[in-house]
Amino acid sequence: MSFYAFLGAIEQGLVYGIMALGVYITFRILDFPDLSVDGTFPLGASVAAVLIVHDINPYLSTIIAFFAGVVAGVITGILNTKLKILNLLSGILVMIALYSVNIRIMGQPNTSLLGYDTIFTPIEAFFGAERYMISPVVFLVVVIFLVIAMTWFFHTDIGLGMRGTGDNPKMVRAQGINHNFMVLLGLAFSNGLVALSGALVAQSQGSADVNMGIGTIVAGLASVILGEAFLDARTVFRGVLAVVLGSVVYRFAIAVALSFRVGSFQLNPSDLNLITAIIVTSALVSPGIKKVFKSRL
Amino acid sequence: MIELKNVTKIFNRGTINENVAIKGLSLKIDQYDFITVIGSNGAGKSTLLNLISGNLTPEYGEIFINDKNVTNLPVYVRASFIGQVFQDPLSGTAASLTIEENLAIALKRGKKRGLGLGVKRTDREFFKEQLSKLGLGLENRLKDRVGLLSGGQRQAVTLLMATLVKPEILLLDEHTAALDPKTAAKIIELTEYFVDEYKLTVLMVTHNMRQALSLGNRTIMMHEGEIILDVRSPERDTLQVKDLLEMFARVRGEELVDDKLLLA
Repeated sequence: MSFYAFLGAIEQGLVYGIMALGVYITFRILDFPDLSVDGTFPLGASVAAVLIVHDINPYLSTIIAFFAGVVAGVITGILNTKLKILNLLSGILVMIALYSVNIRIMGQPNTSLLGYDTIFTPIEAFFGAERYMISPVVFLVVVIFLVIAMTWFFHTDIGLGMRGTGDNPKMVRAQGINHNFMVLLGLAFSNGLVALSGALVAQSQGSADVNMGIGTIVAGLASVILGEAFLDARTVFRGVLAVVLGSVVYRFAIAVALSFRVGSFQLNPSDLNLITAIIVTSALVSPGIKKVFKSRL
Repeated sequence: MIELKNVTKIFNRGTINENVAIKGLSLKIDQYDFITVIGSNGAGKSTLLNLISGNLTPEYGEIFINDKNVTNLPVYVRASFIGQVFQDPLSGTAASLTIEENLAIALKRGKKRGLGLGVKRTDREFFKEQLSKLGLGLENRLKDRVGLLSGGQRQAVTLLMATLVKPEILLLDEHTAALDPKTAAKIIELTEYFVDEYKLTVLMVTHNMRQALSLGNRTIMMHEGEIILDVRSPERDTLQVKDLLEMFARVRGEELVDDKLLLA
């Protein structure tokens, strides 16, 4: 693997790691399989891209994109908690609705950011460094901030309530916690992060596309599961760290698989979904493999 | 003081499975009452507890806690008055959270939850002191996840959590039924200790008639959604299990046929 591909995998692992952190909140903390992220990821990208094209400050645009995700998450939450629609279906409804919404926002299926200032432009100018060096560092800073913030949040009273809600809603209600509100709050936060990830990806690759969200949930889940296979998530901090680690490992595994060559046979980018399925499957069975090895020793 | 006025609960109303679980029931629970509730399966014991806790809302009638009408308040609002221990020892605690985190959630019952740290250093000392009362050595395992504990240990922690903030009423729904006899005896011992220590008002459902008579100061017997017997100390003190059975037969004009009640 070239140095360029190596940096690329780290960069992608980190920026999609932000999305994976959002997926971690819904899937692991809240036990809510939220599929709306396939729509909120491009939502964040679309909102940020359109605002940037309209000469809004890229940092402000990115923050607004985060809140667009928050709103989408709240809608999923309302469908589930107030209208009593099954959690899986609530997410799917928001996901498909967002497909149309995203095209409305952009007025077209995609928006190019070529030639516009992004959040990277001032940093590049300040350090006088190239983009491929700058963006991994920027993403790393954001990820470190999020890991610290999430670890702190999940140890506060509200954070404990949210973790309890996913674990044992009956107990949480009996202890005076409005569990529906916790679900709403978690979905808002989660989808905000996913939209933020979308906004950053759009700016780093130079365009937003309505189809860029396809498979977001699978990549997010793959990261969560891979991370747990590598790092035993006993504490919240380790759990959150595992997600980021999993996301980076996932991107590396894809990069390695794509450079894989036997004779004249080579894998294509179109084989990505198959590769992902194989990676997730092997991560899922890995604890079993470890056990077999241990019992033989 | 808790008061139920003419409460009726109907399940599957308007369908072929319609079932009147509680029929115009009125009950006044005085402060410091420790009431044991007995009755055969389907008598409405658990439904009664669920109506008080807010898991269920009645079709008719009203429920008051300290003269406040709570009939339509959701569970999490009523929780500030109520401590609960369930039959399933796993349902009162969150397995993936540590012992201290579970206790921290319980310590905030009825209080506002914000973005302050859930488990503070000062809380830890308090939790240790409280856990040592259980006599299970859990005071040295604050950072262990609750999922690592046995069912009996978890039920003991649940009991502690239900009383950590003094409730207006403690609802115990056959909270020893799923435990082995030795652990069940330990939980009963702890229950008596906490009730005595904090001067609690208790409503306890049990299938064990001997236990029903030996614990607390008042026993009510339910049948088909109604209270058919309500005895207090001192009249209750001389009662035997066979007296209860006779009373049941006299009131209903039928034999009590429930193995679980007779064998217990």
